[in-house]
Amino acid sequence: MKNNEIQQRLRQEAKTLLEQGQVEYIVGYETGSLKFTTTPLLTKNKDDTDRLIVNPFIVNNLSVYLTEIKGKVGIVAKGCDSRSVVSLIQDNKIAREDIVIMGIPCPGLIDLKKVELLLSKDRDELGNITRDEDRVVITIDGKGRDFPITEVLFDNCLECQIPTPQEYDILLGEPTTPISGNVSKRTNIKELEATPREERWNFWKEEFSRCIRCYACRNVCPACFCQRCFVEESEPQWILPTPKWQDNLIFQVIRNIHVAGRCTDCGECERVCPMNIPLRSLTRKMYEIVDELFQYKAGMDKNALPLLTAYEPTEAEDFIR
Amino acid sequence: MSGSKIINKKDIGKLLSQWNEEFVILVPSKEGDTTKMAKWDGKDTGFIDWYRNTVQASKTNFFPPMEEMFSFQKDKEGYHIGLASSDKHKQLIFAIRPCDANALAILDVAFKDGYEDPYYLSRRKDTLLIGLGCINPYDSCFCTSLGSSPFDSTNVDIMFTDIGEEFFIEEVTEAGKELVAKTEGLREASKVDEAKASKVKEASYNKVTRKIDTRDIDKKLLACFENKDYWEKVSAKCISCGICTFLCPTCYCFDINDELVRKQGTRFRSWDSCAFPIYTEMPVENPRLEKWRRVRQKVCHKFEFFPMNFGVVACTGCGRCIRLCGVNWDITQAIESVPAII
Amino acid sequence: MTATDISQRKRFFANGNIYLPHIAVIEKIIDETPGVKTFHFNFKDEKLRKEFGFQSGQFAEYSIFGVGEAPFCISSSPTRRDHLEFAVQQVGKVTNALHRLGPGAEIGCRGPYGNGFPLDFLQGKNLVFVGGGIGLAPLRSLIWNAIDNRDKYENIDIIYGARSPHDLCFKYDLDAWDKDKTINIVTTIDKEDKSWAGRVGFVPKVVEEVAPSASNAVAIVCGPPIMIRFTFPVLAKLGFTPEQMITTLEKRMKCGIGKCGRCNIGNLYVCRDGPVFTYAQIKNFVSSEY
Repeated sequence: MKNNEIQQRLRQEAKTLLEQGQVEYIVGYETGSLKFTTTPLLTKNKDDTDRLIVNPFIVNNLSVYLTEIKGKVGIVAKGCDSRSVVSLIQDNKIAREDIVIMGIPCPGLIDLKKVELLLSKDRDELGNITRDEDRVVITIDGKGRDFPITEVLFDNCLECQIPTPQEYDILLGEPTTPISGNVSKRTNIKELEATPREERWNFWKEEFSRCIRCYACRNVCPACFCQRCFVEESEPQWILPTPKWQDNLIFQVIRNIHVAGRCTDCGECERVCPMNIPLRSLTRKMYEIVDELFQYKAGMDKNALPLLTAYEPTEAEDFIR
Repeated sequence: MSGSKIINKKDIGKLLSQWNEEFVILVPSKEGDTTKMAKWDGKDTGFIDWYRNTVQASKTNFFPPMEEMFSFQKDKEGYHIGLASSDKHKQLIFAIRPCDANALAILDVAFKDGYEDPYYLSRRKDTLLIGLGCINPYDSCFCTSLGSSPFDSTNVDIMFTDIGEEFFIEEVTEAGKELVAKTEGLREASKVDEAKASKVKEASYNKVTRKIDTRDIDKKLLACFENKDYWEKVSAKCISCGICTFLCPTCYCFDINDELVRKQGTRFRSWDSCAFPIYTEMPVENPRLEKWRRVRQKVCHKFEFFPMNFGVVACTGCGRCIRLCGVNWDITQAIESVPAII
Repeated sequence: MTATDISQRKRFFANGNIYLPHIAVIEKIIDETPGVKTFHFNFKDEKLRKEFGFQSGQFAEYSIFGVGEAPFCISSSPTRRDHLEFAVQQVGKVTNALHRLGPGAEIGCRGPYGNGFPLDFLQGKNLVFVGGGIGLAPLRSLIWNAIDNRDKYENIDIIYGARSPHDLCFKYDLDAWDKDKTINIVTTIDKEDKSWAGRVGFVPKVVEEVAPSASNAVAIVCGPPIMIRFTFPVLAKLGFTPEQMITTLEKRMKCGIGKCGRCNIGNLYVCRDGPVFTYAQIKNFVSSEY
């Protein structure tokens, strides 16, 4: 099914949900105010559903809004987002019956930063970006240039094994398969791991020296649902509010531990970071550790206990020795 | 003759080297995939090709994300306080955009008002601003709605205009005039150069297509201060992070914290944001616990309260808050949808 | 605040830097209630000790080095200059650290900041003080100030309440004012208590009962936000105009000088333009932000 067909159906479904009173709110995407961008649409108004869109730029993981909206919600969710929804259900942050998931099988999203790097142009200097299956055509000054889609998809989309929502009420489109093809990515955990310890330490020191502690990574993350984050505690004060690189690093390491087993690798933390810190190198690594140690992927089963709140006496313990 | 000068772009390195003898020079610099004004390495002038505006505004150079206010130590006689020695030097920011220069003028007002802020003002002192007009504004820019323009030279000392192979140079302040007078390698601008510059400026003005109507905006905001429905709607998608405020060239909220490491104490100041719930949290209650109140504070502080106090809107239309926002929260949409006064 | 006000105060800057605290020594600590202590202190610097001046209603920023800084009003009267006082309720990091200190401990202190009570406006008027809990701290500075200049003011009424008898602060003051025949004082607690024979009822209700006259009077109100919010309408009913109602606001503050932004309501900064305000000044914002 093409995007515009999916979009048409989504608008109808969303309108019906509001009209029939099955939900109070619709959370989806609408056209953003900047070229190519989309923006979250949170609305109670059925007329607004005509603004809902589906395209390769629907980046936000909208489940982040679920914990703050009071009332039943119809939410548009891609594969990773739907798992975040499930993870929130597992953590009892939301109730399954309060959510209508309008699932979108996700063929991968276009990373505008990659496009900008690829063409040495800013987003607003480009003409069009058109995806056609595994190719993308980008026009500048009327001239089109053709690239394999894998050149411009987000790293996490390239590595995504679960592009189709696992939990949904309405599935918009046919289930899809993971993207194949090997391309260079920004997140290169193997390469990082291969670097000597000291070098790696210096790498992170440098990266975290840039952090300005805007907390966008935390606030955009559906797994970061604490009412009060540990960084805001003053007694004891775990880290300083002052953005010293050491404290920045500790903030991110602890955040990473807190979201272990909840992180669905949606990549939002890295995408929103205004200082371009490669946060996904940490979260993806944790995602892999969780999978390796516990054969667990976040948000796959709404009835499963949240990974780090459950303990089985039979569990292997060699990692905590 | 206007007194304007011309320099070939190829000679910018030489020009900066010349100035480097007297000033520490800050230029648009890349720092791990992000950009800010940083100390020139004495060679690289590549920024001329890639620079549109820096991610971090030049407020960072005067009001950094964190800074030491003083140190303290305790001995037998009690506590002693030590001020970090500030290296006094003349500095020059090259290629600052008009919006960011205007923002510094706004920060100057805030930091000078009443009690003077010694940290900001001492850095700001002896700083020359060399403006570089924008020939390629972003689609998020809206400076022309705030009485400014991509070539606004109000708050710079010298203004550069890109006229192709060359820069057209205008002296703005006395300090700027003085510097130009002793700079070698500039040629007098001709009528043709002047015409070229005017054409570039005009074309660029028209490239700023994002518009807001700021007429009576303070009054409109005052009238809708209690309009919870409006503010809830406007704030719905905000995720309460600090991107827009931290990277805003005019936001200056800060926090103060102590650190004690092996008996050596330091008091730091660091950026803070009205977007954070904890910002106004008090033991008994929090006047801005709800998101819509915080968004209202941000908008009203810029477009209502600051003008009430200082007669100027605390926004220069640089567009960073729109460009860098993770959810595309757009202040121009918020301002444009403020209800009209009935 | 005028430029002269500021230049006057600049005398008290440490090294000309507004953010640098002066070292002060705690001389005495009084346990007011289980959670409140009053600290008597003096500056270490002899000269500053003599020269330091302030007005009732002003505040200072106090440092516990290594922990942080917090603002408290100067609760002693400028007419009694043997030492300075501030009262602290234990609520967070800095206040907890303060409560752990003993006499002789060194703290940092910078100030005074804020506007203080409008003494010129108050002179020749009947003063009605309405206080709740630790909110009496700024009021007592003015009360003692007025007592020490008794001929400048007409009647002095004090209505003061706390949650329980244990939560009444400055009991030694309450006793002294009770004995002072030129002052009317009513003390109340929120709920009945075996150890309490006096009046019971929330402060706004007691104000309504006592019904001080608004004629040539100014009400000076300080207490928990909720008490302030409920007291204003009562006073209005009694005929007090917004200009006749004064309060001193508490907001989260860091810098104390109108820069850091926290205490901003409307175009005002509580630390710079206040903390003393007339109800007329803040009523537009009171409903939603205070």
